Order: sequence, then structure tokens, then C-alpha cells
Amino acid sequence: MAPIDGTFDYDLAVIGGGSGGLACAKEAVNHGARVAVLDYVTPSPQGTKWGLGGTCVNVGCIPKKLMHQAALLGESIHEAISYGWEVPSPDAIKINWSALTEAVQNHIKSVNWVTRVDLRDKKIEYINGLGEFKDPHTLVATLKNGTKRELTARNIVIAVGGRPHYPDIPGALEYCISSDDIFSLGHPPGKTLVVGAGYIGLECAGFLNSLGFSATVLVRSVPLRGFDQQMALMVTNEMEERGVAFHHKCIPLSVEKLESGQLKARWQNTETGEQAEDVFDTVLMATGRYALTKALNLPAAGVTAVTGSGKIAAQTEQTDVAHVYAVGDVLEGRPELTPVAIHAGRLLARRLFADGLQHMDYENVATTVFTPLEYGCVGLSEEAALDRYGEESIEVYHAFYKPTEFFIPQRNIRNCYLKAVAERGGAQRVLGLHFVGPVAGEVIQGFAAAIKCGLTMEQLMNTVGIHPTVAEEFTRLNITKRSGKDPNPASCCS
Amino acid sequence: MSKAICKGLRSPIRSLINLRRAKTISTSLVHNETILVKNNEEFVNKVMNNDKPVIVNFHAEWCEPCKILTPKLKELIEPLDNLDLAIVDVEDNAELVHTFEVKAVPAVIAVKNGLIVDKFIGLVDADMITNLIDRMSGKKKPS
Repeated sequence: MAPIDGTFDYDLAVIGGGSGGLACAKEAVNHGARVAVLDYVTPSPQGTKWGLGGTCVNVGCIPKKLMHQAALLGESIHEAISYGWEVPSPDAIKINWSALTEAVQNHIKSVNWVTRVDLRDKKIEYINGLGEFKDPHTLVATLKNGTKRELTARNIVIAVGGRPHYPDIPGALEYCISSDDIFSLGHPPGKTLVVGAGYIGLECAGFLNSLGFSATVLVRSVPLRGFDQQMALMVTNEMEERGVAFHHKCIPLSVEKLESGQLKARWQNTETGEQAEDVFDTVLMATGRYALTKALNLPAAGVTAVTGSGKIAAQTEQTDVAHVYAVGDVLEGRPELTPVAIHAGRLLARRLFADGLQHMDYENVATTVFTPLEYGCVGLSEEAALDRYGEESIEVYHAFYKPTEFFIPQRNIRNCYLKAVAERGGAQRVLGLHFVGPVAGEVIQGFAAAIKCGLTMEQLMNTVGIHPTVAEEFTRLNITKRSGKDPNPASCCS
Repeated sequence: MSKAICKGLRSPIRSLINLRRAKTISTSLVHNETILVKNNEEFVNKVMNNDKPVIVNFHAEWCEPCKILTPKLKELIEPLDNLDLAIVDVEDNAELVHTFEVKAVPAVIAVKNGLIVDKFIGLVDADMITNLIDRMSGKKKPS
């Protein structure tokens, strides 16, 4: 119950100590608020748990990027030979999985610690308990030892994020792992089946394959659904050419454990009805993530703006209960990205405690899929642009390109491709940029700022490129899809 | 340089001294064993109230440089009978970390008669370490 005299324990209570929650909490104390952060990790079906910091730090962006880097470095060692490095016994080069996971986990633990020290320094109360609503202004945190702690707050921010979804098939929960488990897996994953072809599934299959563990992907409908499909095809083509097996239009039926300890997975092609099976050492479920709203007891708060998927509908991060807000992956219809949660969390804290007026702009958020050959993009996909403006009003500029560094080691350039989707008329405002190639994230970031400034094709074409880079290819775009001309490059520098 | 450090860090020491002292009083050790600090009381008794100067090493298991520095400190200090080494695991001693404003590991603080006389952060070179140890064990005059 809200205290009769209107005093609350805290000005702000944040449920969830991840990217969004912590950013909001830290910004709030900067403006003088008394803040408490609740964070708790329910162990995964396989028993994995982790410390403060949320998904990104512990089982998301950070370990993913580190493992992606490990995979790339493995490739680099071999490429180095063609550049003249004398590498003794190249065939003997292999990954030590436990050394890799130890290094990754050590880094994560250092981040957990710095996060805790930071909260303490900023005088933010950190409660390691699972939070739920008792009434609109009261939360109950259940700690690991079962004890409960009640607290009241004038404002509450729900930043609980999500967890991996498991398909409802025999053997899924008992034998399969998810992204929650892969980054700290206590034994090398071996031959792996990845169920799901969203960015999590593809990134995992990608680095596992590059590290030397055979990877197979089951794709239910299309890879990277929601992303530009032409680019998604480039990404999967590259992965296939590197040895990742794809089974399209397939859904998993069951996973059983054999006497050898290995797993036998059965799946079915939804178009042909055909069933198939194979034996794997590891089966990794990457079939989507669900928001952790059920455990919150939202009805006790009076919050009803919850969609069928469990996410919270809150256009301006404010729910249908005025003092209850939501930020991050838990929000309906918003990009599930760390920088989005951080930015939205900060702006929200400013609106609550510093008379801020700025609202989060969720449009034109850049992102990158860190598959072995990366895919970076900002703005609309070609499909979305065609849908919104119509074919007659869109111009798509595209090109294949050959990174200078690829020639000597004879790296595959077949999937090095980029395109700009723009308005057809006038100066041709750029609606979307798409790039498949090395360091795609680094390439796209600057262009995200350009698009925010209203970048046009005219400006892009008048920008002088930096040579030799892959990013300069955006400044060299001049062939349109409409023209039908060959988008393959003739040679460098002309 | 030491004076400024002493000045700035005197108040944290005071707040530690004001902590409730342990009911049992630990006897001073005859031979030189590394002190593994498990809680504030132990720190007050064995470091603050130590007759000998103490080198306090803030350590974390997940920190690679710590894995190099800590054994080195043990190797250099254990043979000495007029200088002690205390190891504070940052995961188990959140309050000490906060009191001494340790923001990064490894961190080394030199304590003499309950006062901080020196501090360094990160894996410093062997010369700096031996220099500090010599000064603390009385081999060299303090700078």
C-alpha cells in the first residue's frame, strides 16, 4: 500500500539490472533520485546462471562478440600464411574450448564486478531478488534463500528483458541448451544442431563452425525474418559455403538421448512432410525469446497493456498505469537491442527526474548480425520500402565489391555486396543502407548518423571515399537495380 | 606524494577502525604467513592493528594480471619477517573495496601503523614492486 503520508522508500525502483534498467537507474541518481535496482537470474533449464548486468553482458552481445572474434582470429592465422607468416604446423591449429570459455567468463565476471562497484558508488541499492508487484506502488523481492523483501517506490520501471523460448517437443528442456548456456558450456559443443535461423541461431552456428565444430541449422520459415531477405540470403550463402548445413522449412520434432550420451534429433520438412534425423553432440535452441512479464504479477499493479506474446505495449515507455514504465526487450514492437534500451532508459529517467522532454526515436536504428561474414544495416529493408512507397517511387543502388585484403588469401568475394534503398525523386533521400562484408558494424555506424541528418544519394555520391576500405563502397554506388546493369566491379580504383 | 595519499585516505581508515572489533583477539603470528582477508574484522585486526607494515593486495580470480602479481608478491614478501602480505579477494570483501575506492584490480595498498602510505593500481613492473617492499621493510628510506 502506498504510505498515507505519500513518502515512498524510493523515488524509483527498477526491476531488471540489464542494459535498460541500469542506464535508467544511473541517470536517475544523477538527477538526485533515490533508486533501487532488483536483479535476479532464474537458472536456465540446464542450470546456468550469471551475475549482474543483464543479457547483453552475460549471455548476449559481449560473449557473442568475443566468440565471433575468436572464430575470426582462427581464420586469420591461416590467412596470415598467404601473407608470408611462417606458421608451424597449420593443420595442428585448433581451438581449446575451455581456454576460450574461461577467458570469456573472466571478462564477464570483471564486468559484473565493475557494475556492482559502480552501483555502490552511485548509492543505488542493489537487491538480488526476483521482483513482483504486490500493489501499484509496492514490490516484493524474493531472494535466493527464500526470504522476501518489500519496498515501495513512487515510480517503477519494468526492464526485465526476456529469455530463450523452448519448443514444446519431447527432449527440448531436458537435453537441449540455449544461448543462456553456450558461452559457459563446460565441455566442447562438438557436432551441433542449431534450431532457429534468427540472428542468434545464425551467429552461434557461424562461430561454432569457424571454431571447428560442425554446425547444422534448422530453418522454420526464412532466415533472419524481418531483415532484408536478399541480404539474409547472402549471409546464409556465405555460411553454407563455409560448411554450415541448412535444412529449410524444417521444424524439430523430438530430441532423445542415446546411450553414448549423444543426442538424436528428429525434424520434419513442413512443405514435403518428409522426416529426417541425425545424431549430434549438442542441440542449441534458438527459436525466439519471450518477455519475462508473467512472473511480475502485473495485475496487482493494474497494468493491463500486455500483448499476446507477453510483451508490454507502451508507446512512450509509459504503461496504462501512470507511474509504471517499461524499457528494453520487454517492450512490444521495439528493436531488441542494448543501445536502444540504454538510450530509452536514460531519456525516461530525464523525463521523470530532470524535466526532460525528449522521447526515444526508435526509427533508423542501426544494427549488425555478427555471422562469419557480417551484415550491417540501418533504415528500411528493400521489402519494407517497396511496401511503404511503391516500386515506382523507390530507387535501389547496389554493387558487389572485392575487399583488397581478400585477394592474397583468395577469400570468397561472392557474398560481398551492399545496397542503398532511396526515394526515387529529387535528391533521393536514403531510406536504408545494407552491407554484407567484414567489419560491417564499424562500416554502418557512421552512416546511421548520416541517415539521421537526412542523407540523400546525391550527398552520398558526392562524398569522397577513404581508400582502400570496404566502407568507401557506399560512396561508389552508382548502378541501380532498375537499370539492369551488371553490379559486379570491373577493377579497383576506377 | 605519500603525504597527499595519507591525507586523502585517512578518513576511510577511521571509518574502518570504528567498526565493531572482533570478540576474539588474534595473536600475532610468529612466522610470516600471507593473510587471507575474509571480512572487515579480520582486516582491522591483522592489517590495521598489525605492528608490522602490511602490503594489501586486492585480488580477483577472473583477473589475469592478478594471477601474475599475487604470486610475485607472495614470493617476495613471505621470506621477510618484518613485512606482511594480506590478500583481499574483491568478490568476498565488498565493503573494503568500497572503503578503499578500489575501482580496478590488481590494486596494492601499503599500510603502516594503520595508515595508508602508498597505493598503486594495475600490474606494475618488478622494480616498482621491489622498491615498495624495500621501503616498507625498512631497507630504504621512504621517499
